[in-house]
Amino acid sequence: MTRTCQEIAAYSERLYYDLEFGSCKAWKEDGGGHCVGYMPVYAPREVIHAAGAMPVGIVGAGDWLEVIRGDAYYQSYLCHIPRSTVDLAVTGRLEFLDGMLFPSTCDVIRNLSGMWQMLRPETYSRYVDVPQNFDPEIGGRFWEHELRELARELGEVTGTEVTDARLRASIKLFDENRAVVNEMYALRRDQPHRAPTSEVYLVLRAGNVVDVETHTALVREYIDTAKATDRPDMDNSRVVIVGTFCEQPPLGLIKSIERSGCFVVDDDMLLVSRWFTADPAPDGDPFGALARAFVDHTVPTAVMYSPTSGRGKALVERVRRARAEGVIFAAPSFCVPALLDQPMLVAELDREGIPYTAFKYSENTGQFGPIREQTGTFADTMKLWSAA
Amino acid sequence: MIIAGGIDVGSSTVKAAVVRTDNAGNDELLGSHVERLRRRDPRHVIDSVWSVAKQQAGLTSDQIEYVASTGDGELVEFRRGHFYSMTTHARGAKFLVPETTLILDAGALHARCIHIDARAKPLGYRMTSQCASGSGQFLENIARYLGVALDEVGPLSLESRNPEVCSSICAVLSETDVINMVSRGIATSDILKGIHLSMAGRFARLVRNLASEGMLTFTGGLAADVGLLQATREELEKAGVNIPVASHPQSILAGAIGAGLWGAFRHEKLLARAS
Repeated sequence: MTRTCQEIAAYSERLYYDLEFGSCKAWKEDGGGHCVGYMPVYAPREVIHAAGAMPVGIVGAGDWLEVIRGDAYYQSYLCHIPRSTVDLAVTGRLEFLDGMLFPSTCDVIRNLSGMWQMLRPETYSRYVDVPQNFDPEIGGRFWEHELRELARELGEVTGTEVTDARLRASIKLFDENRAVVNEMYALRRDQPHRAPTSEVYLVLRAGNVVDVETHTALVREYIDTAKATDRPDMDNSRVVIVGTFCEQPPLGLIKSIERSGCFVVDDDMLLVSRWFTADPAPDGDPFGALARAFVDHTVPTAVMYSPTSGRGKALVERVRRARAEGVIFAAPSFCVPALLDQPMLVAELDREGIPYTAFKYSENTGQFGPIREQTGTFADTMKLWSAA
Repeated sequence: MIIAGGIDVGSSTVKAAVVRTDNAGNDELLGSHVERLRRRDPRHVIDSVWSVAKQQAGLTSDQIEYVASTGDGELVEFRRGHFYSMTTHARGAKFLVPETTLILDAGALHARCIHIDARAKPLGYRMTSQCASGSGQFLENIARYLGVALDEVGPLSLESRNPEVCSSICAVLSETDVINMVSRGIATSDILKGIHLSMAGRFARLVRNLASEGMLTFTGGLAADVGLLQATREELEKAGVNIPVASHPQSILAGAIGAGLWGAFRHEKLLARAS
C-alpha cells in the first residue's frame, strides 16, 4: 500500500522524536552489526559503513529533552547541542553506540570529544581532524592518511576489515543516497508547494537513524509521492536558510518560517547528506577517491576554510540557482562558525542587493512568535516592496 | 480593476472581506462578514464567513482573482498568498481612515502599535508583552465578572465620574483589583473606566515610543469600544502626545480588508512579471 506524503513525514517524525534511537537498536538486533555515531558537520560515513557499522547522526536532543546534567559540563555562553548530547550520553541513551566520531567543526565539538573519552572510556571515539588545506598534495594526502587510520581503527572495533572492495561498495551506496537527496532538494526548489521543508527536513533527518539503503528508498518514495500529489501552489517568498549546519533548528521553527509566507528553497541543514558536489571517482583507490572528492568537491560552509569572499560568492550563486528572493540567517545562539561567517556573507549580499534577515535560535527554542513576526514581515517586504 | 478577498483568522474571530481595486487609490469594499469562533472548528467558521462575504459581494469564487490570508492563515486552505497581520492592518486602516499614520491593532491576545508611511508600509512597531492585561480577552473576562455585555462596556465606561485605578502590569492583579472593587461597592462604570485607563496607559506608552504626531486609528476587535477610545485620548493627552484618535465602524475588518487589497496588488505584480 502506498503512503501519502503526510504518512511518510509522520513516519519520519516518529524517528525524529525518538530519543531512544529505537530504529538503530532494532537494526542491531536484526543482526545488522555495529552502530557508530558522528556529530555534525561532516564525517566519512562511507568508511563507517565499509567497516560493517551503521553511521548514526547525533545532532543533540532537540526540544524534547530537558537538559539537566548536560548544563554542568558547559559554560552558559556556549551553544546547546553539546549539552543535550552529553545529557543523552549520561542518561544511557547512547549506550548502543559502539563508537563515536567528533569532526573538527569547532572548539566546542572538540571539547566534547575530550569529555566523551572521559565519560565513556570503554567505547571507541575519535576526533576527526578534517583538512583545511585543499591542495591535493597537502590536504588531500593528509585526509587520505586520516581515512586509512580511521578505517583501521573502526575495523578493529567491528571486526570487519575495510577492504578496497567494501569501501568502493559503500561509496556507491552513499553516492546513490546523495543523488536522491539532491533530487529531493531540486524538487523542493522547483515546486516548493509539493515538497514543503517541514516534510523534506524530516525525511532528510531520518537518514541519521536508518541504514543508507532504507533511507535512499524512503527519499525515493517521498519524491515519487510528492510529484504525484496535487497540492495548491502558493504565492510565497522564496528564501534560502543559512547557518543551520550544526545545531538543528526545532521543527516548530521550520514550520513557523513556512507559515509566515516563505518557501524555503535551499538550506544548509544536515550537510553531511550532500557534502560532495560531485561523486568520488568510482575506480582506483577508494581512499584516494574519497580524499580527492573532499578537497575538490566539498560544499562551501562556515566550518571549512575558503579564501576571502569565497563563501559569500558561493552563497550568491546558491541564491541565484534557487531563484530565491532573500536569505534568512538562522544561526544557533553562540555558534561561532555561523556567526563569524555572517558579516562576510552579508557584505556579499549587500553588494548584490539581495535582501536578508537574521535571528538566533537554539535547538530547544519554544517561542516562535517573534521569529514568525520577523520572517513574516521579511516575506511581505520582498513580496510587496521589492523591485522585482 | 482587480477583485480579491482577504480572510483574517484571529484567536477569537474570523473576518472576511471582498474588495475591488485598481491599485491606484480607487478601492472598494464589496462584501464582508465577521463570526466569533466560539470553540467551533476554525476551518468550518472560515468557510462560513467566506461564503457570506462572497454572497454579500454577489460573486462566486472563480470571479475572485486572489485570496489572501492573514493571522493564522495556514487554516485557510484555499488561499493563494499570506500576509503578516501588521502589514494587512496597516493597509486596512489606511483604506478605512486615509489620514492614518499610526495603527493601534487591539485584538484578543495582544495590542500592537504600528507606524506606517503613505504607502501603508510599516516603518516600526511596538507591542504589549506576553501579559494579557492589554488585550481584548482580558476585557472580556472583566465584563463577564461584572455581568456586562461586551457592547455595553464602552457606553458604561463613558458614564464614569470617578474612575477607580487598577493595575496595568498584570492581568491577574487587575482581576484581583476588580474583585476587591466589586466587594467595596464601586460603581460598574467606574470599574470599567479604571480598566480602560489601565489599558490605555499601556497603549499610550506604545504610541509615545513610535511617534509624536500624525493620526492614530484603532483596528481589531477593541476598536468598537468607545470607552477605550476615549480613555486612550485622555492617556495620550496626559502623556503630552498630541495625536487624534480615530476608529471606523468596520475597524474590526481592517486585517481582512488589508489582506484583500495587498492580494490585489500582488496579483497585478505577478501578472506583470508573467507578461
